[in-house]
Formats: sequence, C-alpha cells, structure tokens
Amino acid sequence: MLLYIVKRIGLSALIIFFAVLTLFALLNSIPGDPASIALGPRATPEVQAAYAEKMHLDKPIVIRFLIFAGNVVRGDLGSDVFTNRSVSHTLLEQLPYTLTLAAAALAWATLLGIPIGCLSAIRPNSWLDRLTGVISIGTIAIPSFLVSIWSILVFAIFLGWLPVIGAGDDGDIVDQLRHLILPAFAVGLGWVGYLARMVRASMLEVLGENYVRSARAFGLMNRTVVFRYALRVAILPTITLIGIGFGVLLSGTVFAEIIFSRPGLGKIIYDMVLARNFPVVQGAVLVTVALYVCVTLIADITVSLLDPRVRENL
Amino acid sequence: MEKLLEIRSLSVDFRTPRGRVRALREVSMVVPKGKIIGVVGESGSGKSTLIWTIMRLLAVNGTVENGEILFDGGNVLEFDDNRLKGFRGEKVSMVFQDPMTSQSPVLDYRSQFTDILYRRTEMSRRERLGKAIKMMNRVGIPDSEKRIYQYPHHFSGGMRQRAGIAMALLMDPSLLIADEPTTALDVTMEAQIIHLIREARSEFGSTVMLVSHNLGLIAELCDEIVVMYAGEIVEHADAHDIFFDAKHPYTKALIACNPALDLEMEGQFPTIPGDVPDLHQSPAGCVFAPRCAFSDETCSKERPAYSISAGKHSEVVDHSVRCHLYCPDKGGKTKHDLTALSLNAAADRTRSEIAHCDEADELLSIQDLRVRFPTMGRIKALAEGVDDPFIDAVYEVSLGLRAGETLGLVGESGSGKTTLGRAIIGLNGVHSGSIKFKGSELVGLSQNQYRKVRRDVAMMFQDPVGSLSPRRTVGQLLTEPFLIHGIEKGSQRDQAARLCEMVSLPANFLSRYPHELSGGQARRVGVARALALNPALIVADEPTAGLDVSVQGEILNLMLDMQAAHGLGFLLISHNLPVIRHVCDKLAIMYLGRIVEYGDCEQVFRNPAHPYSQALVRGTPQPDPTRRRQLVSIEGEVPSLSNRPGGCEFHTRCPYSGERCKYLVPEPSLLADGRTVRCHNPLAE
Repeated sequence: MLLYIVKRIGLSALIIFFAVLTLFALLNSIPGDPASIALGPRATPEVQAAYAEKMHLDKPIVIRFLIFAGNVVRGDLGSDVFTNRSVSHTLLEQLPYTLTLAAAALAWATLLGIPIGCLSAIRPNSWLDRLTGVISIGTIAIPSFLVSIWSILVFAIFLGWLPVIGAGDDGDIVDQLRHLILPAFAVGLGWVGYLARMVRASMLEVLGENYVRSARAFGLMNRTVVFRYALRVAILPTITLIGIGFGVLLSGTVFAEIIFSRPGLGKIIYDMVLARNFPVVQGAVLVTVALYVCVTLIADITVSLLDPRVRENL
Repeated sequence: MEKLLEIRSLSVDFRTPRGRVRALREVSMVVPKGKIIGVVGESGSGKSTLIWTIMRLLAVNGTVENGEILFDGGNVLEFDDNRLKGFRGEKVSMVFQDPMTSQSPVLDYRSQFTDILYRRTEMSRRERLGKAIKMMNRVGIPDSEKRIYQYPHHFSGGMRQRAGIAMALLMDPSLLIADEPTTALDVTMEAQIIHLIREARSEFGSTVMLVSHNLGLIAELCDEIVVMYAGEIVEHADAHDIFFDAKHPYTKALIACNPALDLEMEGQFPTIPGDVPDLHQSPAGCVFAPRCAFSDETCSKERPAYSISAGKHSEVVDHSVRCHLYCPDKGGKTKHDLTALSLNAAADRTRSEIAHCDEADELLSIQDLRVRFPTMGRIKALAEGVDDPFIDAVYEVSLGLRAGETLGLVGESGSGKTTLGRAIIGLNGVHSGSIKFKGSELVGLSQNQYRKVRRDVAMMFQDPVGSLSPRRTVGQLLTEPFLIHGIEKGSQRDQAARLCEMVSLPANFLSRYPHELSGGQARRVGVARALALNPALIVADEPTAGLDVSVQGEILNLMLDMQAAHGLGFLLISHNLPVIRHVCDKLAIMYLGRIVEYGDCEQVFRNPAHPYSQALVRGTPQPDPTRRRQLVSIEGEVPSLSNRPGGCEFHTRCPYSGERCKYLVPEPSLLADGRTVRCHNPLAE
C-alpha cells in the first residue's frame, strides 16, 4: 500500500515537472520581446533592460528554464508586474476561496448524487428512477453560468434570501457561508445529475454480479449487500471520474467567481489576463495544475484503498 | 426416511419480451435428510431456476405460478422477511459455480466470513474470526491464520472454491445446495473438491443438493438422482437405478452421450437429434417427444403421468419416470426393446480407416518449440534487478502430425496448450525452435507471409459465439475467409450455401446473426469457417467446451466426417479426456509448458507412463456409481509458471517422486511402444 502511494506521488511529481516545462515553453514561444510583453507597450527601454536583467533574459534558454524551475520548487513564482508583490503571496490569498467553493460544490453534488443514483439502481424503472432520470439529464444540460444567473434572479433578487456579491466578511463564518451557498449551488448542480447517472449505471451492473447474489444467498442483510458488497465496487469508477472531472469543476468556478464577484483563482486568472499581468497568470495556471494533480492523486489513492487489485497492479 | 425439503408441483414462469417462458412445470420432489441428491440436466432444463426458487432469489421477471416448497413445517415461498433471514444462509447455504465471480473482489476473506456470521450476535469479533479460521483449516486451506487476510484474487481456483465451501458450511446449514461446484475447475482440483463435499457430508451431517450437467460428478457423489428436461422432472430414482436401469429415453440417451473414459467405442459419437423445445407454450404431450426415438401419436398429444415402481437397487427410493412407455394402463408399449436403443445409425468410422495415412509425410512437425512471455516491462525488470523477466509458456515441445491424423493436446489450465495452438497459426511470437508445415518452416515468417499459410492451417476458436463478429450475418461470416484471401471461387452466395450444407445448417440461417444461434449452431459456423478454404490442418481449441453432451457428439461427428472426406489433420486441444480418447489417434500431455508424455492415444489411456498422465486419467470421474474413488489421486495444484519448480516440474505433486527428481530435469525417453515420456521412473516400460 505504502509502495503504491510512493509510486503514485512520484508519478504526480513527474506530471507537474512536465507542466512546468510546457508552461515555460509556451511563455517563451510568445512572439516578440518578453520584456515588452511583460511590461506592456509603454515601458521605457531602461525599465525593459532592468527587467531583462532581473529575469535573466540574456542567459541561454536551458539556464533560464533551470532558474525558473528552481524558483518554482522554492515556491517563488515571480512578482506581480504592477504591484511588485510576490505572486505566490497573492495566490495563497486567493486559493482558499476557490478551494472552499470547489469543495462545497463537490460535497453537495456527491452527497445528493450518489444516494439518488443508488436508489434509482435499487428500483430500476420505478417512478423515482424515471423522475430522477429526467431531472438529472436536465441538470447536466444547463450550463453553470445560466444556473448562476437564474439563481441570482430567484434567490437574491426576487426572494432576497441570499447575498450575491463577494465572499463575505473576514472572520464572519456565517456570512461567508451565506455567500457560499449560491455559487456552490450553481457549480455543483450539473454534477448532481452527472454523478447520479454514473452511479446508477455502475450500480445496476454490480447488482447483477454473481457475488452480490451470493451475498444474498448467504442471507446477509439487504443493507449490507447494497452498501458493502455492491456500492463499494460501483463507487470506484465514480471516484476516478470525480478526480478527472475536477478540472472541469475548476473551470466552472471561473464563471461562478466572475458572476458572483468572488475572489479566487479563476477570478484572478480572468482579471490578470485582461490586464496582461503574465507572471500572475503563469503562477495561477501552475497552482491550478498542481491542484488538479493533487485531486487526481487523492482520487487514485482512495480507489486503491477500496480496491485491493488496483494497489497491486502498478 | 425423513424429509428435509419437499417441493410440490412447482411452476415458475419468466416474463420476456417474446412472451411468458414456462421455465418450470409441476416439479415435485423430496430431499431426504442426510443424503446427497443430484439434479442433472442440460442447459434450459430449469435446474438453476429450481435452486434459485428455493433460495427465493429468482430474477425480477420470474414469478412462481403454482406450488409450494415445504421446509421446517412452513412454505418457503410464503416466508416473511424475518423467517427468510433465518432460512437463507442459516438453514440453507450454497456453493457456487464460479468461485472467482461469486466472491467479492474488494473484501478480504476475513470480512466475507465474518459478514456471514453477523447473526451470531452472541459471538465476539475475535470468536467470529476464530471460527472462520477454523473453518478454513477444515476445508484444507493451509496457513489460514494468514491467508484469511487475503483477497479472492490471491487464491488459485481450487483454493477459492475451498474457501467458497468453507463459507457455505460456516453457519452449519442443514441443506447445502451446490450449483455446478466443479465446472470451473481442472480435473485434479475437481477430484479434491469431490472428496471435500463427501467429507463435509459425513462430518457435518449436511444434506446436499448437487446440481450439475456432469454425469461423472453426479455418479461419484449422489445417492439419489433427479433428471430434468425442459422444465420437468422426467425421472427420479436411486443413483444405481438411474445409471444401470434408466427408463426414460432421455436419461438413456444422456448416459449414452456421456461415455465412460475406459469404454471402448467404435463408430460415431451418440447424439440426441433436435433441440430443446421452445417453452413459450406448455407442450401438449411429452416434452421429450419431438426428439424421442420411441415417440408415437399418444406421446405428442397426451401428457404422460409419473409411473412409480419399486427401485431395483434401493428399497427406500422408488423409481418414478414420466413416460408413456411405462404407464400401466398403456401396457403393450413396454415391449419396445429399449436396451437396443440406437441413437445414431450413421456410417461407422473405424480406427483402421485412419491408419491408411501412415505412408504420408508429416503434415506438421514441431521441434524444440519455446514460447516466452514477458512478465514485466524492460525498465521495471532493470530497476528490480530481474535479469530474466520471462515465463516459458511452451517449453521445448516436439510434436508431429500426419495428414488424416488427430493429435490430442491435454493439460490443466496454465499448461500452455492454447499458447502452443496459437503459436502454430502464428498468433504468438516464438522464442526458439521450429514449426514445419508440409516441410516448410513457419517460424520467422512475417505476418504477410503467414497469411498464405493460414489458407492451409485453420483455427477453431474456443468461444464459439465470442469469436464471431456480432454485426455480421452467418452468410457474411462464412464468406469472410474468401475475402481475406482474395479468392474468387464462384459466387459468394453459392460458397456460403455450400458450406452451410456441409455442416448441415439450414440455408435460411445465412441471414441470421450470431446471437440468434444456439451454442451448437455457432460451433457449426466455426467449423464451416475453418473448412471454408479446404485447409490441410485444423487447430481446434476446446471445440466442445460449454456444449451440452447431446450436442457435443454432433460437432465431433462433423469434424470426424470432414476428416474422413478431406484427409484433414486435427490438433485437438481439450481438457475433456473422454472426448480425446474417443477421437484422437495420438495424445500429448502437457504440464507447465512441457510435453510429459506423447504417443499412441489408446496406450496412454490404458497404461499411462507418466505419473501426471495417470493422475489425469484416474482423476476424471466416471459415470458409474459403483466405481467411486476413495482417494484423491494427486494433491496440490499447478504451480505458477513464474515459479517453475527445479528438476522435474511435476515433482512437487508427484506421489512417486524421488531425490533425483528434485534437481535433475528428466530427458524424454522412448518406451517400447513408441511413446516418449519425460520421467525418471516411468510407470510403464
């Protein structure tokens, strides 16, 4: 088990290394002088020269990559072109907002989607199954930004129950939670349907397996059979899917953060792209990649904890 | 005689898109306490439906139309949830057919065992674990204190089935239902499991209901036998009465189709013509009438009643049979001479007919063939310091086959027989050695060059339906070989029709798809495809595995007829020894990739020279209840190829192994009758 985790972490590190390499290559392949791109058209030649010096633009590309990679490892993602603040500092401030939003969205989607999927698989073609089937397809089909806008209209404007803008006051947990509800609802809604359909399909398959029937023949309680023998296996592809789908979820948070004016990685990437503040964009992309790799890693380790065959086969 | 379970005129229907299927009709039987009762039948006979109805685990589209199942003073079909909980798993438990798929892959044995013990609330966790370990020890799983923490995929097939039996015995059930418990296992494992079930009966006093299509297994174990056909019980009697005094024509035919291993048989394989009837309507007369050699008008119009007489071999068990021939009020009819039951009057095939090819050149000649498979990637091997990350699936194999001859290749799973077959037609890479076909070397040919060879060397694949593309009609499948090899031979349609006729499939089958064919029909298409280009050699991989015995004969007869007509050479890969004995001229027995004995088929069966051959021959259960074995022929199981034992590979399981066998690999030695044996102390001279 430990060996599996070590190997899997090694692989993740390798993926992040290639992400850094790709990012570096992309930034270096932008046509034109990096200094003028980074500083914008109005920078004076002196400022540009100083920047080139600071960014080691005069050195060979290999050295530049090593310096870049070394900085990344030390957690130094460069500094904001405008404010000269450390990029990592800015990102660390924003990261918790995105993480909370993504986690909240995923949490409510899983907590609702998986039981719905299970219930409809236990009684296939019942009215419950058909109803949840229609609703699920509906929620998958509606884009999250539409959900955001409609939920603002309904819950914030007509009903006036929930706040719309921002992430709430610092230190006031209740206020922060109230600000979290609508964006988390909007980001997670599509996932409810998606997870429900996914769990239903694999659960139906597993419930037909011989070992489920043997468990029943041994007289085990229905609860034990469904949760311990069937769901434990049926959930595995769903966990992997959540890991992979986390990337999609992150892009969903970009919309939500823009629409609800929440701080966060998505918002900052959006703002800084418009402002051509490349070091920040670059850092934010890198953090997103790392986040994605981490979540996939967690998903894989969870699967390996549940399924002994996986951890023996790497 | 005390009744443990009684079934009274049970009828079960399945709702299908094509209408109701009347899967069980008026089934009545008594399971006596302390006995082993066998339920025999081919596919579609309703034997599985019967056990799942007893367990109250019918598929959702199945409904019990009529009847009752009495157990412990109540009707199982009316048990409420609470009573059912005390019945299923507690009073009645099951051993399943395929231990790999019937045990949870994600729970270790500790969890699976203790889950079953959940009802024993008075037991602590530790006591439950202790009981599970004790039971695992009891069924012969060594080292069970440690192995109980392992998962099913860590266990070999035989060990897994032992664990399955341990699970079933855990609650000390009064009735044990075993559903084809050895079908997924090799012969030597089967012998061990038979022994275990017998022991369980004598030690725990369980009553066993054994469901199987394998007459050998049934004869070996059962006291009483119920014969089912198309959803009805056609005959029920003491085991000896069934095997020596069978009354129903179906039972007789079934026994005739299942030849004993040591029975000398000339001519064609017996078959039962026709198919299992469509059960969408209740048959008007006797269910077996359409296939019965003795049926007359009454049989197809009137339902026969059970006629019950005293058993010849047993004083307790009556012999009941559902056939008009025995109805007392229809006297006269019994004068039919049923002993001279001729099942198939087709032309005889004699062994001398095959011998005519003696002068012919060798069709296939294999020398020192070695096929290796990598067990890990090169980088991983380098990293882990393994210098030889390969296993030898086929190891120094030498064989020869002449035109018109049939060579049988026998061995347990993992012996490399399929790999050898695939290597001959170029589907596996070859590490070293030579394969000569009609004198020209095949090893080292490119895939393109091999294509020409495959016109003359055809393959019949193991899984008949799976190896046919589901999106092509039979007609397209039959003409595919011509398209692949770019041969224009008359019109494609004529070719397909010719092939269809050759394997006696009706011409209207040309437009059917594989899923619309029965197992036997799909095999026929497989045979026709193999024959399409008039090959000289056919490699047949388990041509009858998974087929009912009544159909198995049809395919074998077809293959033999084709051989007689075209002088084909057959390489027949199988684990079914009776089939091999009756079909093959030469026999090669494989163990861990090596040929351990090779020579004349009859000689090997009469007087096996290698201890492993002996174990296989003796390990096959005989359809004869008077010849039950007391002892298991060999212990243990096939070692893994990645952990090949030193010296003679078989020494770890060999009852005769000596000191020398442990370190010295035996060279093939020639016996007086022309056989070669790889053994230091051959059992025959």
